[in-house]
Amino acid sequence: MKQKKRMTLLQKQSAAGWGFLLPGTILIAITAFWPMIQAFIMSLQTGSSANMAWAEPIFNNYTRMFQDKLFLRSVGNTFLYLIIQVPIMLILAILLAQLLNNKHLRFKGLFRTCVFLPCAISLVSYSIIFKSLFATEGLINTILVNLHILQENYNFLGNAASAKAVIIIALIWRWTGYNMVFYLAGLQNIEYSVYEAAKIDGANGWKTFWKITVPLLKPTIIMTFIMSINGTLQLYDESVNLTNGGPANATITMSHYIYNNSLGQGVANFGYACAMSFFVFIVVGILALINMKVGDTRD
Amino acid sequence: MKRRVFAALLAGTMALSLAACGGGGSDSSSGGGDSASGGDGHTLTLYAWDPNFNIPAMEAAGADYKENVDPDFNLEVIEQSASEDVETAITTAASAGDYSTLPDIVLFQDHYIQQYVSDYPDVWVPLDDVDVDWDNFAAEKLNFSTIDGVHYGMPVDGGTVICAYRVDLLEQAGHTIDELTGCTWDEFEQIALDVKEATGKYMMCMNSDGNDLVYMMLQAEGVSQFKDGKPYITDNETLVQVVDTIVKFVNEGICLLPNSWEDYTNTAIQGDQVAGVMNGNWIIPTIEAVPENSGKWEITSMPTFSGEEGYASNGGSSLYITANCQNVDLAKDFLAYTFGGSTVTYDNALKNGGVVTTYAPAGESAVYQEGVEYFNDQPIYADIAEMTTKVPIVEQSPYHYSARNYVGSAIINIINGADTASALKDAEDQLNFEMGN
Repeated sequence: MKQKKRMTLLQKQSAAGWGFLLPGTILIAITAFWPMIQAFIMSLQTGSSANMAWAEPIFNNYTRMFQDKLFLRSVGNTFLYLIIQVPIMLILAILLAQLLNNKHLRFKGLFRTCVFLPCAISLVSYSIIFKSLFATEGLINTILVNLHILQENYNFLGNAASAKAVIIIALIWRWTGYNMVFYLAGLQNIEYSVYEAAKIDGANGWKTFWKITVPLLKPTIIMTFIMSINGTLQLYDESVNLTNGGPANATITMSHYIYNNSLGQGVANFGYACAMSFFVFIVVGILALINMKVGDTRD
Repeated sequence: MKRRVFAALLAGTMALSLAACGGGGSDSSSGGGDSASGGDGHTLTLYAWDPNFNIPAMEAAGADYKENVDPDFNLEVIEQSASEDVETAITTAASAGDYSTLPDIVLFQDHYIQQYVSDYPDVWVPLDDVDVDWDNFAAEKLNFSTIDGVHYGMPVDGGTVICAYRVDLLEQAGHTIDELTGCTWDEFEQIALDVKEATGKYMMCMNSDGNDLVYMMLQAEGVSQFKDGKPYITDNETLVQVVDTIVKFVNEGICLLPNSWEDYTNTAIQGDQVAGVMNGNWIIPTIEAVPENSGKWEITSMPTFSGEEGYASNGGSSLYITANCQNVDLAKDFLAYTFGGSTVTYDNALKNGGVVTTYAPAGESAVYQEGVEYFNDQPIYADIAEMTTKVPIVEQSPYHYSARNYVGSAIINIINGADTASALKDAEDQLNFEMGN
């Protein structure tokens, strides 16, 4: 008897739990999962979007992208941004966090706000601002020429290498503060007594940083890594607004190319665009998995 | 307590945003076509995108029809921020199979229409039975909007290419615009070098990310980037010659390639970096935006390799009736009466928006013969209307812009040191790949 009564109570609780979960689950399923399934079906189709037919062979869109030089270049560009930008940004963020976590620092709030402020600016706005800063007749050129560092105005965005560099600089400016906030939060969870103990044992700042701060921040570092990788692989606004993929598609990213294939250039090749999106999805998944495995502290 | 307030707020915003979604949905369907045109039988909705150019032309047509045909007539011009928005509206409506979001009539870019008719045949209403004398329109223009012999669009503005030059700067370099009329590209090069030396200004200019020069220079020679539906690039001697010429001009410092369209219009043209502009005549309002250069510009035809006067067309748009139009008869009658032959419409379109007709009889009206002060009192519109009739027909393709982008990229790569043949080969391969050849 007693057993049965407890079951019903449990059941009641569990029913209430499911009841609370249900609206959210249904919304996510309708607005996120169902479109994903549809996108997968569409990635196996080809033709005009009003009248799509199954691709022949069925994975044609997927094999096609590996013969598409422009797509492969966009993959290359995206990974270049990833490999150069993410480490620089995260190291900068952790150093800034360390500096701004100093107990004796004055105007801490002001400095933190300043570093975080770029994140409050919309992606499109800041891309356009960087575009005008680095324009041939822009501020950076004027300054460099007046300081006699450059002989004449340099077309930063018209040259493949410098255009890529500008995108990376822009990304670092925009996202460092964002990641710093996570590190700051992480640092505040580290007991000050641990540092005191280290000090008593004679550890210097460098040693404390590597032996205490970094290991204790590991979960945060892994999280920012996953988020940064994910974000960089989906890079779109900077490529579109800062360089428009140019010069000669030298800075185009995967998402930008996907957009060009769906709505960007008047050609609606939705099947192919969906297939490429799934490629990005799989790559993000794999990288996140590796990251989590590497960073897993449990044995 | 705090938490409860927060939860209530959250629920409130969620409910609000859901309501907003629902509201937005019904709004857009009523704002589109069905209620507007279905209502009284005297209203048409129309998408256009340029408040300084084609929207005044649409309003001129609406006023003309209201005054002379139907006093209850009402044309609702719905402004889009760019021509791409119209294309996206068609793509999304056709993909969803729900045309109710579309207006009765859309203004649509010529270079895309063939692809859109073949991709989404059910979106368009043919204009086969309207009372219009099609022979009065420039043949090159109709070539876009006629698909398999059926007329789909009513031509509005042509993209006849003008070469506008700063005569004051030419004079400083010891040259006149007459020397540039019917000249060879070699002669052009000499004059351009003189102008650069004397004034420091560029005689040629084009944004590098969508290079229009290749297409215009090719058309002036009567050649296309396509042949029998296939890319015609590496075997196309004229195209190779055009690419070589542009690269040479850039390296000599007489052709400027800004990075983007905004740099082209705002920095290069309006920032007074150029002594010459070569583009569709819709570029005129951009040139005219600098009041202190009034009276210093004149226009003429394009140079060619042979030294004959060159004519080409770049851009331009036409009006198309969509499948969502509930009052097709009214829409057809409106188009046929106004842009199908009313000089009142065309005169006002020119006066208010600078829209130059491709309808030959309209070019003879008095408004066209007037001298334009900004262009040194040259009657440029009559000149453009005359040039329009001479534009050669070249093979068009739905992949027009793709071809242009790939060749444009090839030019950038060649300027940066790539080999011409291999860069053009890459462009052709990429285009073939995109076309599925």
